[in-house]
Amino acid sequence: MTLLDINELTVKFGGLKAVNNVTVSVSPNEIVSLIGPNGAGKTTVFNVCTGIYEPTSGRVCFSGTDVCRPFCWQTALGLALVGVITAKFLALAVNIESLWANAITGNYVYQQPFPWMKALISARETLAGHWVLPASIGFVVGIAGAFAVWQRSRRAPEISARAGIARTFQNIRLFNQMTVLNNVLIGMDTQLRTQLWHAALRLPLFWRERREAEKSAVEILRFVGIDRHLNELAENLSYGDQRRLEIARALAMKPKLLMLDEPAAGMNPNETQGLMGLIRKIRERGVTVLLIEHHMQVVMGISDRIAVLDHGEKIAEGTPKEVCCDPKVIEAYLGKDEGGGMRDE
Amino acid sequence: MKRFRFHWLFLAGAALLPMVSPHLSEVLRPIFIMAILGLGLNILTGFTGILNLGVAAFMAVGAYSYAILTCDIYPFQLGFWGATGAAILIGLVAGVLLGLPTIRLRGDYLAIVTLGFGEIVQDSLKNLDVITKGTQGINPLPAPPHPSYFLFLGFLSVVVLINRNLERSRVGRAWISIREDELAASCMGVNVMKMKLTAFALGAAQCSLAGALWASFLGSSGEPGNYDFQISIIALCIVIVGGMGSIGGVLLGALVMVGFNTIVLETFTNFLKAHQLISSTNVFTAPGNWKYMLFGLALILMMRFRPEGLLPSKSVKAELHHDPS
Repeated sequence: MTLLDINELTVKFGGLKAVNNVTVSVSPNEIVSLIGPNGAGKTTVFNVCTGIYEPTSGRVCFSGTDVCRPFCWQTALGLALVGVITAKFLALAVNIESLWANAITGNYVYQQPFPWMKALISARETLAGHWVLPASIGFVVGIAGAFAVWQRSRRAPEISARAGIARTFQNIRLFNQMTVLNNVLIGMDTQLRTQLWHAALRLPLFWRERREAEKSAVEILRFVGIDRHLNELAENLSYGDQRRLEIARALAMKPKLLMLDEPAAGMNPNETQGLMGLIRKIRERGVTVLLIEHHMQVVMGISDRIAVLDHGEKIAEGTPKEVCCDPKVIEAYLGKDEGGGMRDE
Repeated sequence: MKRFRFHWLFLAGAALLPMVSPHLSEVLRPIFIMAILGLGLNILTGFTGILNLGVAAFMAVGAYSYAILTCDIYPFQLGFWGATGAAILIGLVAGVLLGLPTIRLRGDYLAIVTLGFGEIVQDSLKNLDVITKGTQGINPLPAPPHPSYFLFLGFLSVVVLINRNLERSRVGRAWISIREDELAASCMGVNVMKMKLTAFALGAAQCSLAGALWASFLGSSGEPGNYDFQISIIALCIVIVGGMGSIGGVLLGALVMVGFNTIVLETFTNFLKAHQLISSTNVFTAPGNWKYMLFGLALILMMRFRPEGLLPSKSVKAELHHDPS
């Protein structure tokens, strides 16, 4: 069984084929790397997997299902409900003046008790014959609008996040002005059960859950090794720690698949070593890792399998050893550059 | 803990104020209402980062709902508490109705839509004169059941408490994460649309409450023209001057912005009049006529010297001043 199955994926931006017919599959508890020269389409693959881009063709399946909102009876019911509400609203809005004049003003005598039943009857009489056209227009507009919104939000990052895909970003995207702890707590958001009213009134659930969430957030921070910075703003961390915080935030989602987009970029050799250890430890926790990386030392050191992209196409796939010797890969990397091309700066 | 005691101190001071200075407590009532309006906008603009230029419309919705539900020329006559509760709910629904179709717009586009919404509400109120009495406004409204100073202070305290609770919970955290980085937030599983809609609903409900209190304060719904763009801008100024995303800041902002108008300028005018330094024939000598220019000047100076506001929230301050520490 495969965990993530990218099947004949093609993504076009206008005339540009960023990803062309790429097939990659990731099995549970594997570390798979996606490598390739700049602009090969690696991050685009990531963005499709996490629901940021819509694939032009092909499918991305996560634990056997397509990662998008399914059309189920709740959806149909929701659409119908929006349609009915819009219909009623429009029917009332169009007739509001005559309704008010007949039902309210017509029946109200100053400082006398108001005959509610009579008002209701006159309201029905006023509406009779005048509601059909606006209501049907409202129904159609409501359903069409709601459907368009649903269609466009079918594939959203939060859907894939809830399915169990967590990711980090190539250029770190932390919530810079939030504390380290709050960053991790945002990652935990999907597991929390506190609702608005719990929070507003500080009901017991709020306190209990806050205690538990903060405890496990600290645990995760300790796991990646930055628990001493708990209450600092995220932007004040060093570059390497920011990368670690991003991983911690992603791990807080309790993902099945962790997608790391160039986690070693900008790290010194020491930090890189630490990162490799961390990724191995993450795998030991039962999380599958899909990795984009330029640091060949990292890629060759920890990957179970490697897929190589070049100009949007997959040119090789296999174990580190196989990929290393593949003439196509060597050409893609070394073709233009003489020597040292395998080493990232 | 120290901060917490300060809050109680302020509250106690505010509660004792009417005994010390009846005039000042009189002047403070509209400030309380504007503070509630500012806090409503603060949820949208300060926490969630949605620029809303039409909060006056929500205020109008609240004021007119309250007026229609209490005035004795209509059959409802719910009384103060019922009408205020209903106004809050109606504001909530109005927020959701505006939010649902527009929530996917970003930044400037959403601001333009809210600006348009403000104008639409104002024009609708003007033209639906069967219901709203057009430009006359609805009056007279019955007086609130309690002394309005304490009533407004109580409402303001409850609103502040709820806002603070929300800010320091999952909800506020999600709002702030959306302000910081919407894409990253949604990749973390935060339901961005739902949270934005919640912000819209709660912000609108608070603005609507401010409107209802305003109507009870005036004893009239006021005319539709009272709820124009200027009110929205003053609300925005309250939030910006006080400090975006900071509840204490918004309170201070309301005090400064509205207080400047009703306390400082008035006292100054009275002083000038007493010493016969202004003539009634020359409008340029009346300080009240310069108020928007002074506002503008104050805003420019703020933006230059203290862009994060008078009492900034920690996080926004960090956003605007990159300290090396």
